[in-house]
Amino acid sequence: MTFLAPWAFAIGVLGAVGVVLFHLVARTRPAAYVLPTARFIPDQRSLVSRIASRPRDLLLMLLRALLLLVASAAFARPVLTPSRGTVGHIVLVDRSRAAADVAEEVTKARSLVPAGAPLVLIAFDSTPIVLRGSSWDSLAALKRSDAAGSLTAALVAARRASAALSELVDSVQLHVVSPVSRSELDEGTTLARRLWPGAIDMQRAALRVDSAAPAWRMSRPIPLSDPLGPSVATMTSGARGHVSQLTRGSLTAGDSALIRDGGTVVRWDSTVTTRMAAEGLAVGDDVIVATLGRLSIPSRGRVVARWADGTPAAVEEQVGSGCVRSVGVMVPAAGDLPLHPPFQRIVRGLLAPCGLVGAEVASDSIVIAAMVGGSHVMASARELRARVDYPSPLARWLLLAALLLALAELALRRRGPVEAAA
Amino acid sequence: MAAGPYGALLDAVRGVRWPAARRVNGATLGAHPSQLRGNSSEFSEYRPYRQGDDPRRVDWRLLARSERAYVRLTTDKATFRTSMIVDASASMAFPQPGLDKWRLARELAVALAAVAHAEADPVGLAIASEPPTVFVPRARRSVLLEMMRALDATTPDGSAPIAPLVSSARAARIVVITDLLGDADAILAAARLRVAAKGEVILVHIVATEEITPPEQALLAVDPEHPSVRRLLDGAMRNKYREQFTRWLDEMVASSRAAGIRYIRVLTDEPAPHAVRRVAGETARRGA
Repeated sequence: MTFLAPWAFAIGVLGAVGVVLFHLVARTRPAAYVLPTARFIPDQRSLVSRIASRPRDLLLMLLRALLLLVASAAFARPVLTPSRGTVGHIVLVDRSRAAADVAEEVTKARSLVPAGAPLVLIAFDSTPIVLRGSSWDSLAALKRSDAAGSLTAALVAARRASAALSELVDSVQLHVVSPVSRSELDEGTTLARRLWPGAIDMQRAALRVDSAAPAWRMSRPIPLSDPLGPSVATMTSGARGHVSQLTRGSLTAGDSALIRDGGTVVRWDSTVTTRMAAEGLAVGDDVIVATLGRLSIPSRGRVVARWADGTPAAVEEQVGSGCVRSVGVMVPAAGDLPLHPPFQRIVRGLLAPCGLVGAEVASDSIVIAAMVGGSHVMASARELRARVDYPSPLARWLLLAALLLALAELALRRRGPVEAAA
Repeated sequence: MAAGPYGALLDAVRGVRWPAARRVNGATLGAHPSQLRGNSSEFSEYRPYRQGDDPRRVDWRLLARSERAYVRLTTDKATFRTSMIVDASASMAFPQPGLDKWRLARELAVALAAVAHAEADPVGLAIASEPPTVFVPRARRSVLLEMMRALDATTPDGSAPIAPLVSSARAARIVVITDLLGDADAILAAARLRVAAKGEVILVHIVATEEITPPEQALLAVDPEHPSVRRLLDGAMRNKYREQFTRWLDEMVASSRAAGIRYIRVLTDEPAPHAVRRVAGETARRGA
């Protein structure tokens, strides 16, 4: 057992020593001696202070000293010293809608952790579920969720769980078993990643098959000077596969040919000037609030994006085997809005071919490398230990024992004064 | 007579004489000079005949030789009723466990009674206990044995007064054996009246050596007759205690002498036979 506040116990020890001294150096009434001529002694106090070689009441002294020690031990926040292992493991298993097979992820995660190692399992979608101990069966029983995943929430949960785990081990290894789709990352992910002081073992899992749509591309690249450019800068362009083409202004013959071939033409006008205002825009699960302008769009077609007040912001209409999507969102030509990941996700969703809006897209290797971290050093338990107070289960029992000792001391004291031996 | 534990003591005081301090007023033939003169065979002196003298006491032979009438005077002897009053209060049960004060008081009472009884004096005993035990003075042989049994059966306790026994004693000579820690003033007052009535009062003051010099372990002194009196007896208090105790002893001596009482202090380390001789010897000198 060790104490988190040893100074409190030290005070108790000093108090116990004081009690012993108090019992040794005590004002005692000496033994009575029958003297018929006692009346000739001047009357004065009949108590004397003396140093005794033995305490005047051994039981009471022990009781009082024990009371102080137990009470101070309770306030010193005792914790039982565990048998420390070398490495503890925290495994984040993705059960969001982006995961292809949760059972396969569990199998992969199980292979990462040695049997018997201290372990905390966290299954996450938008909300993390912490399973302490070896709860593989419980984890495998969890089904895939329909909610979007949040790696940020999972990392925060892992950081919280690491504080308790760090009391048991010297180092903690964090494993993330996830497809790491782009929808699982947000602006807080980087901050949450910084909370973890060591490297993260990233284990990529398969994206969900029906959402892992075939790759699509822009028919022609969008210049980086365009506000929409940064969102698709890493995408390849060409005419194969699912193709999408951005059109500023009216449709051209080339656009019609692309539609005839089954492609998607996105009409996103940027030439019309309109009044900008703070607007909320939602595309699937992605929402941004930014200074945007509203453009008129056809009233027919399927709504793929809406403003915060519910009015359509983008609609798409099937034309033959192709598709025409009209986007009524005016993006400011200046500003850093195009650099914001949520805006980029919305842009990618609005530029994606029809039927692929909201599909999960795997993060690129740069994101994964950033998640892993520069070093491969596991997080030290000392860095993970929380500075917050943990309730000590021993303290309750020690306080109860102190209370009982106090009652016993009271009863013993009321037993009556103890006459000192002469 | 079965003297029991007092045998050695009685042997030690055998032969001790304890004459009265002055001529006694008694008609019974005894060993003490009587105030009466007349019929004894022990010649004392001649005195010229005066009218009213008994003609049978005229010495006719002297009248024939000198033609003067003289009366033959003789010295009469009488008995002297003596009573022992013994203090049996709790303060006499000291020091524990030997009870030296009580032992010495008993031995003095028995020894003095034996000395008086040897001179054919009637002896009595009064034990100041609760209730008091009183034996009127008698001259019969068993009186000493009865006194011994009564004293041995008594355990010092309580704080019975002594003065009433002094006042009611039916004896001309009263020996009060006490530590004077009870009703001392009343004792002296009663004794003063007895002395004024031509009685003889001897005050034997029993003092334990532990009372003069209490032992070192006596840090908290408790009065056995008044348990509420608990006094601390440390170094400084010891000196004050000695001063006050000595002053009180001196006051007792002065008060006794002022009242005409013979005051004799006996310490517990003094052998009883020696104390008996001291009481009887001093008395004899004063009577000589």
